[in-house]
Amino acid sequence: CKCCSQYSDVNTSFLDPNVLNLETMPLDINIILLVLQAEVFPYPEIGNEELEELKQFVAPVEKFFSEEVDSATIDHEAKIPAETLRGLKDLGLFGIMIPEEYGGLGLSNTMYARLNEIIALDGSIAVTLAAHQAIGLKGILLAGNEAQKKKYLPKLASGEHIAAFCLTESGSGSDAASIQTRATLSEDGKHYLINGSKIWISNGGMADIMTVFARTEVEVDGVKKDKISAFVVERAFGGVTSGKPEDKLGIRGSYTCEVSFDNVPVPVENVIGEIGGGFKIAMNILNSGRFSMGSSCAGMIKKLIELTSEYAATRKQFNRSLSEFGLIQEKFALMAINAFVMESMAYLTAGMMDRPGVPECSLEAAMVKVFSSEGGWVCCSEALQVLGGLGYTKNYPFERYLRDCRILPIFEGTNEILRMYIALTGMQHAGNVLTRKVKELKKGNIFLAIGMVGKSIRTSLGGSVDLGLTGNDWVVHPSLEESAKKLEENVSFFGSTVEMLLHRYGKTIVDEQLALKKVADVVINLYAMTAVLSRASRSICIGLRNHDQEVLLTNTFCNDTFFKNNFLMVQLQKHSPENNDANIKKIATAVLANRAYTCSHPLERTF
Amino acid sequence: MRCSRSLLPLLLRSGRPASGQTNQNHRQHQALRHLHSSPASAKSQPVSAHEHRTSKDTSLTTHEDLFEKMAKESKTKATFNKVIEVFIKQDIRRRGHVEFIYAALKKMPEFGVERDLSVYNKLLDVFPKEVFIPRNFIQRMYNHYPKQQECGVQLLEQMETYGVLPNVESKVLLLQIFGEKSHPIRKYQRIMYWFPKFKHINPFPVPMVLPEDPVDLARFSLTRIADDLDAKVTVYQLPCTDTTETGEEITRPHLVGIQSPSQMELLAKHDVNRPVFVEGPFPLWLRKTCVHYYVLRADPTPLHLKVEEPYDPERCLQYPLQLDLDLDRDLGDEESFDVDDLDDGPVFAMCMTSQGNQATLNQWISGLQQNNPILGQVPTLFRLDAGPQKPQESSQSPQPHPETQTEAFQPGEGADETVEEEPRRSHRMKQ
Repeated sequence: CKCCSQYSDVNTSFLDPNVLNLETMPLDINIILLVLQAEVFPYPEIGNEELEELKQFVAPVEKFFSEEVDSATIDHEAKIPAETLRGLKDLGLFGIMIPEEYGGLGLSNTMYARLNEIIALDGSIAVTLAAHQAIGLKGILLAGNEAQKKKYLPKLASGEHIAAFCLTESGSGSDAASIQTRATLSEDGKHYLINGSKIWISNGGMADIMTVFARTEVEVDGVKKDKISAFVVERAFGGVTSGKPEDKLGIRGSYTCEVSFDNVPVPVENVIGEIGGGFKIAMNILNSGRFSMGSSCAGMIKKLIELTSEYAATRKQFNRSLSEFGLIQEKFALMAINAFVMESMAYLTAGMMDRPGVPECSLEAAMVKVFSSEGGWVCCSEALQVLGGLGYTKNYPFERYLRDCRILPIFEGTNEILRMYIALTGMQHAGNVLTRKVKELKKGNIFLAIGMVGKSIRTSLGGSVDLGLTGNDWVVHPSLEESAKKLEENVSFFGSTVEMLLHRYGKTIVDEQLALKKVADVVINLYAMTAVLSRASRSICIGLRNHDQEVLLTNTFCNDTFFKNNFLMVQLQKHSPENNDANIKKIATAVLANRAYTCSHPLERTF
Repeated sequence: MRCSRSLLPLLLRSGRPASGQTNQNHRQHQALRHLHSSPASAKSQPVSAHEHRTSKDTSLTTHEDLFEKMAKESKTKATFNKVIEVFIKQDIRRRGHVEFIYAALKKMPEFGVERDLSVYNKLLDVFPKEVFIPRNFIQRMYNHYPKQQECGVQLLEQMETYGVLPNVESKVLLLQIFGEKSHPIRKYQRIMYWFPKFKHINPFPVPMVLPEDPVDLARFSLTRIADDLDAKVTVYQLPCTDTTETGEEITRPHLVGIQSPSQMELLAKHDVNRPVFVEGPFPLWLRKTCVHYYVLRADPTPLHLKVEEPYDPERCLQYPLQLDLDLDRDLGDEESFDVDDLDDGPVFAMCMTSQGNQATLNQWISGLQQNNPILGQVPTLFRLDAGPQKPQESSQSPQPHPETQTEAFQPGEGADETVEEEPRRSHRMKQ
């Protein structure tokens, strides 16, 4: 089969940053390649044996969630029943990613993502498990030494012990400098005494093992400085108290509370990594915990489609079923596209993380998180809308899904902060490449300037930009050529936009949050386009069932996103007074200065 | 002139409005109104206008006398209205009404009715109706009854000065008196155009009536100066009078301070080796009242002593707070220039007291020290001008100043004088 052979030995080197020749490649193309560092073509696969193994895990989990988990009760009573927890433990879901030598399932990121699709059907359980293994015990797994792993991981994997991640404080969210919890070395040098209190700790009430971040005094170059360190704290050490569970909007079954540490003695062996190295550990844990949200959301949306489509097919109005109305159909298309894109992004990212040699995918994970958390909210809301008033009642699960998924844009780094991360990481990469060129331009290098003008005229006259996605050495299937061209055009336009931003703002772009938000949105959209193109190409090539539907979804999404990207980038090219950014700031400043809505009531009179 | 003079004894006699004579007058007056509207009466009108002109120079003073005599005991709205009524009733022809209105306008502030719309309307009602309305194009072309129109404009002008907005009744009266497109109507239209537009032009409005209590006044003034919603007002001392053992009466002044959390933060970071200053008094005008406040401030940090907080890459868990790039902002997007951002040195707190001597202000500083322990270590210098220490009404004469008072600082006095001499201008500035 020509397709398959072409697919299997396709040349991916053009997207590999290590093989890039920065001097010869067109500069603006480099930018996006560096932003989307990793190899995205071909779409990652797992082997047949792995797939079989995965299916063996999936079937019982699916059965358990459909038969034994009563989400409505969990939500109502704000507690996960003990037998449900026991069932989860028996299935091994407390140690999905812990290596088998420590008693876990030892599954890869991809498989973890797959299981999360099912786990996400109950928000409370998903959050409890995520707090346990995506962040709670991740510190030991990523940076712990052999002794710590041997001591703690087996019990954590079996679910005998539950883990929690204690970083947030009342005065410190993302600002590590304002962490107040302090660990001081005892006089005999064998213990650290931890004092302080942490808030919004998922599993805080039932956790036995906690990863706690605290300030420690470290000597750097002879100067004493405060640095963050990570500790494994057992509740059994004494001095750990947890507060009342918070009464939350959604994920009500998860146990979120305040945890206080009062002179908790922690043996020095329990320091994770080096003393003073806690910042890096916290960052790594947070970065690695996000990628699964894409598949979780996709799983939830797929479930919602099932629930609502049944209603839409049976409910009749004006002698027609709801499913015949265009405005209802639109909602289903939206849900399908969103689920498709989330899946594509999530498994692409998970696959890249599983690849040896491409360890860091935090940027991609952040993109997946932002896209899927926002898409998830819209889809939940639309699904509820299909049912109208019924969806608003507690008789149906939609309001619970809506409440549960409202947490997604908030936790694991708010979407605002992740957008900053995405945009700034991209700008830093682009800046590294472009600084010299921009400086030359600013100095007035006439030849370079003429070259630039010539190039922009060529593009504006319809000269196509070719990144090599299509053509002889294609990586995107020819039936997706249109969409691939759109991606290429966006990428090229984005390259020049980023260059212009660097020219205008330089390093002060950090303070231009409104511009950065647009940059982040474009980057996320481009990654989503790339992911769906890659996935759909693979599906066509190996002939997956209903791949024609995938082509349709891909083309629809790419078409739509192409225009969104163009709009965003046209806005970015304008200065702040023209693209409304200045106005937005003015409005907000006035409102915030008053701390109230500023306008007079429309019924007011002056005479 | 003759008739104006003859008013006096008449008015003195008819002090009570309920007398039979006034009733009779009233009936006559009603009949005359009808006459005025007929063309025949229009012909007779120039005669009376001529009479007015002859009596011009002295009649104003006589009308003022009328006000003085009528309101010997109390100058109130009621007596003012009574004067107007007496004038209306005593002569059905309303002779001398222009002079009367001028006199009334002048007397209004004395009677405290300068902001009362109903009084202005009543005054407008003094004009005879319909006689001044031009009836043909020639009259319309020329300035018809210029003196009366001028008087009407003057009345509206005074309303404008005091910020009184005419209502529909005023409009109807003006139409009845001068007709459409007359000067007073034009004036009315201009007022109605501009007044609503300027009504809320001041983003920091001062209430018409200020709080009486000095503590409340200080609280109001301090929150007005400190543009920070978080700023907290503390009353360090309420005004009170104590009697000592020797029988002397000691009046303790009120002492009210304000400080915001950001000011506290700024003060906590202040270098202990550099002094802070208590300075004042500085004047603050609230309409016609002047109050004085004191500030606790420091000199701006010299450039070489400024310590920039070094960038800590381990600050933000999620994203880099700085980019490692060798590119600066382009000139076209450089917006760092700011006229407001002057290095004036920080202000840490403000206070108001009725007695701005060092002892009282020391009490303030020790009160501040409770929340700002750093004040115990920083040298505090008092740089005080002796100045007026009581809230002043501009109409009152300023307090006698202590001898230390220099010529440099006399804001209250100077302002007083201007107010006395040119009430109109100063009012206009207020509203």
